[in-house]
Amino acid sequence: MPIRNTDHAWGSINKAFHWILALLIIGMGFLGWYMTWLPNAPGKIKIYALHKSIGLTILALVLLRILWRQFDRRPSELPMPHWQAVAARGVHIALYGVMLLMPLSGWLFNSAGNFPLQWFGLFHVPSLTDGENPALKAIAGITHLILFWVLLVAFVLHAGGALKHHFIDRDSTLRRMLPWGTRAEKSSPPPAMTATHSTPNSSSPTEVKS
Amino acid sequence: MKTVLLFVLASGFCASAGARDWSTDAAASKLGFSGTYQNEKFEGQFKKFDAVISFDAADLSKAKFDVTVDVASVNTANEERDGSLKDKEFFDFAKFPKAHFVTSAFRKAADGSIEADGTLTVRDKSKPVTLKVKFSEAGDKATLDADTKLNRLDFDVGSGDWKDTSIIGADVLVHAHLSLTAKAG
Repeated sequence: MPIRNTDHAWGSINKAFHWILALLIIGMGFLGWYMTWLPNAPGKIKIYALHKSIGLTILALVLLRILWRQFDRRPSELPMPHWQAVAARGVHIALYGVMLLMPLSGWLFNSAGNFPLQWFGLFHVPSLTDGENPALKAIAGITHLILFWVLLVAFVLHAGGALKHHFIDRDSTLRRMLPWGTRAEKSSPPPAMTATHSTPNSSSPTEVKS
Repeated sequence: MKTVLLFVLASGFCASAGARDWSTDAAASKLGFSGTYQNEKFEGQFKKFDAVISFDAADLSKAKFDVTVDVASVNTANEERDGSLKDKEFFDFAKFPKAHFVTSAFRKAADGSIEADGTLTVRDKSKPVTLKVKFSEAGDKATLDADTKLNRLDFDVGSGDWKDTSIIGADVLVHAHLSLTAKAG
């Protein structure tokens, strides 16, 4: 498997970003809900600290991923109706937006609530506010919650779209993003290739799982 | 003879009346503390307290501090933390609304600084506590700075699971700064 993306396949770096972030984000969704129901105790504070550390990790990974995108080509799209390409593009934009804003709103909420912040207890992460700020805390908290629901909807559309391509359209959209090997690329059916060439690369939206 | 007698009486009277009494300017005074939360320092203060201060550097034997603190006035600039402090695992505002400190003796330490021994009562726990005292007097005005280090576990502040000092450190540094005005008479 190549490290960088090719015209038809995702490279290992892109796949690593995709799946590591996927696992972290899904885990955080459950952890985020679970922790709010815990009784007020030191254990709760430790779980919140874990949530914050993972959130900061996600933020760093997303920034690196966006940076990497600037230097890596994107595989050409597989054929699909225009509306699907537009929808996929919209969902991707939403996912990137949420991946950035979710950790940032959490960080802001933490700062405005005047809580300490550390990355896995290893180093201090500075506050975004000058101490306690109840108004900002309320805004950041609501934003964090709304973004959760946006994320959930985007995730369902993203994963649902991938499964639809795999099981109904039977194309390689999902297979070529799977973490193992390059078989997906090699087994890409010829129609995909043909259609790719017939699609203007520069102007059409992408339907690639990224 | 009469004059001398009067003088002796007067000075004796003054001595028995004790040190100078001072009233506290609440707006310019602060009873603050700092602790650690997840290994990071945080600061707080008790906004309401009454300090009865009698002090004359020339006669420490008559000095006395008697401070009553309204524990519900605690503020650490963190809504959740302040919410926890009212609970029975911490200060238990409902059951123990006041903390109290009263001195028993003042002394000059070897380095010339003044130390005040006393008893601090928080919740239903009373422990001996020594303050480092710095008193600066200028006419009718004075400032009093007092510092000490407490162990929150001595006073059951944070019981049960909250004894875990990896989240909230055991040591609490207390710093009081009082702005005083001499009482007339």
